[in-house]
Amino acid sequence: MATETREVFGREVGWLDRSLALTCAVALAVTVLAGLVQVRFGAYDMTFWQVVGAVFDPLVWLRPNVLASFVLGDGLASTLGFDTSFDLPTETLIVWNVRLPRVLVGALVGMNLALSGAVFQAVTRNELASPFILGVSSGAGFAVLLTLVVFANFAALLPLTAALGGTVAFLVVYAIAWQGGTSPVRLVLAGVIVGTVLNSMQTALFFFASDLGTVQAAIAWTTGSLTGVDWEQVRMILPPTLLVLPAAVLGARYLNVLLLGESTASALGMRVERARFLLSAVAILAAAASVAVAGIVGFVGLIVPHMVRTVVGSDYRRLMVGCAFVGPALLVVADLGARLAFQFTTGAPIQLPVGIVTGLVGGPYFLYLMRRRNELGDL
Amino acid sequence: MNGTRTPPETAAPDGDRADDGATTDAAMATDDGDAAASELVGRDLEIGYPGTDEPIVECERVVIPAGEVTALVGPNGSGKSTLLKALAGQLEPWGGAVALDDESVYAMAEKERARRVGLLSQERQEPGSLTVEKLVQHGRYPYRGFLDGVNDADQRAVDRAIELAGVSDLRDRPLTDLSGGQKQLAWVAMSLAQETDVLLLDEPTTFLDLRHQLNVLETVRTLNADRGVTVGVVLHDIAQAARYADNLIAMQDGELYDWGPPADVVTEGLLADVFGVDATVRGGLDGPEIVPRRPLE
Repeated sequence: MATETREVFGREVGWLDRSLALTCAVALAVTVLAGLVQVRFGAYDMTFWQVVGAVFDPLVWLRPNVLASFVLGDGLASTLGFDTSFDLPTETLIVWNVRLPRVLVGALVGMNLALSGAVFQAVTRNELASPFILGVSSGAGFAVLLTLVVFANFAALLPLTAALGGTVAFLVVYAIAWQGGTSPVRLVLAGVIVGTVLNSMQTALFFFASDLGTVQAAIAWTTGSLTGVDWEQVRMILPPTLLVLPAAVLGARYLNVLLLGESTASALGMRVERARFLLSAVAILAAAASVAVAGIVGFVGLIVPHMVRTVVGSDYRRLMVGCAFVGPALLVVADLGARLAFQFTTGAPIQLPVGIVTGLVGGPYFLYLMRRRNELGDL
Repeated sequence: MNGTRTPPETAAPDGDRADDGATTDAAMATDDGDAAASELVGRDLEIGYPGTDEPIVECERVVIPAGEVTALVGPNGSGKSTLLKALAGQLEPWGGAVALDDESVYAMAEKERARRVGLLSQERQEPGSLTVEKLVQHGRYPYRGFLDGVNDADQRAVDRAIELAGVSDLRDRPLTDLSGGQKQLAWVAMSLAQETDVLLLDEPTTFLDLRHQLNVLETVRTLNADRGVTVGVVLHDIAQAARYADNLIAMQDGELYDWGPPADVVTEGLLADVFGVDATVRGGLDGPEIVPRRPLE
């Protein structure tokens, strides 16, 4: 048979083809380039090559104790026996301490949202599904407002309450959709119901906000922003990502079978309900982790799987790998725009929340997709 | 003419069925290690859906005999697909039991069941730009562990299935490029790759042109003749069912109306009672031939 198979460690990897490799390479290059540009700008002026030197400074990369202090934090690093006192050139210190975390968090948020969206589009069999379709965004938004307005003393726990709110909303959606089993349509409808109720309650809470600062903080959360993120946020989102990424790639095979329809998947011996719930849980974890560090960044989870699908096809094994690279690229570029657009055009040091940029870019792109692919309408 | 209702359990299987239909024979054949035919039996079934108050299908005993092709016929809404789903282990009956060679279908682990009973459902979804070969590979799902890739045995089964279904020339084409008939054959190939003892097909010929209908039915017949696979198939066209099947199960309003070889089951009385059609039935070369006249009031 003239079937093309390639093997790595004795495993068939024929699905890792050139279009996927190219997609990943381009996405990685874009991420790195946008990241470097992002890092270059700030109160302390640097040339581009100074930035490259600082980011790839061997004084950081070749000394485990320095790397550990940044990634794990001084506290944990010294507990683990790393020496946390060291000297670095000013450029390197500024880049690593202040500017790099934002790029890293952006990339991780983009990856999580893209993977989460890809999973939800398969689980709900809806091409318009996003990480926030099953009530996650409204749940998280409501929890944020509740914390800011009613329980202001717990503002430090905001990331946790946001993630928790999203997860609880998802569980409520699942419970509503359950009737001796769920179905994609019932899940989406339940998501709309819960979303509508929570959004009303969210809007109602705005009336009780005591000052403008609270309202602004709430809006920053609900539109998604990377302003002021630090290594603390990297440490917050990294562990879930390390869980989500392999789970999503391994889950791809189950998603492929699920795409044949529930009846077929079940006839092939798949426990459909269990698979659907576990895959949704992975997607929720990814969405909740990104909400916790960046708020609700819209459109990334919706757009990225579509972009990747048009290039690599609908095989979820390829789609997942593609999403893991394209998601970070999109978000890092969008954040670059969010931070620098006003600075360059007006000179005023205003930063937009990144969620506004993803919305502004994502909407028209989706429109373009809709025009180009007629079958998109046949849901 | 046999227009009276014959309860299925008393509808005695005629001569040639008695020797290979008995479970003891089937069990002995299993000991030979050969691909022994399996028998699927439902007893005291009450089948309904979560949303319904009353069961959709009720029947005391239904048999898909080992190594034969059985066609389920009946008008729309008579419960054929529901019964097939329950027999396939995909819709647990409210009451009663389904047994595959005396082993409860619903007590089996999911993948174990999927290695023994296959169901090609009507409710399925277009999986995008998949090639025919990739679709057929999904039929090997019940044989693959958590991290297993496609091994040689899987690939051989996929090749066999593709050949048997006659889609070799389509194997690298994406499904989105195929006609309805070609797609149907690709799905049949996927079910064949499952290599089950029993294969159940829900209306595999509906919406196909005549040529592709015959393609599907020939494939099913070959599968049955060459590998002794027990086949249960819901067919819309009773004339076709009479020609291709060894047995017919005629259903009406969620109950079995009659059961047996086509020559006994297909009568003018059945066509009038079950299908509401005035028709003439003549003995032809390949079993009874039906000439429909007009719908009855």
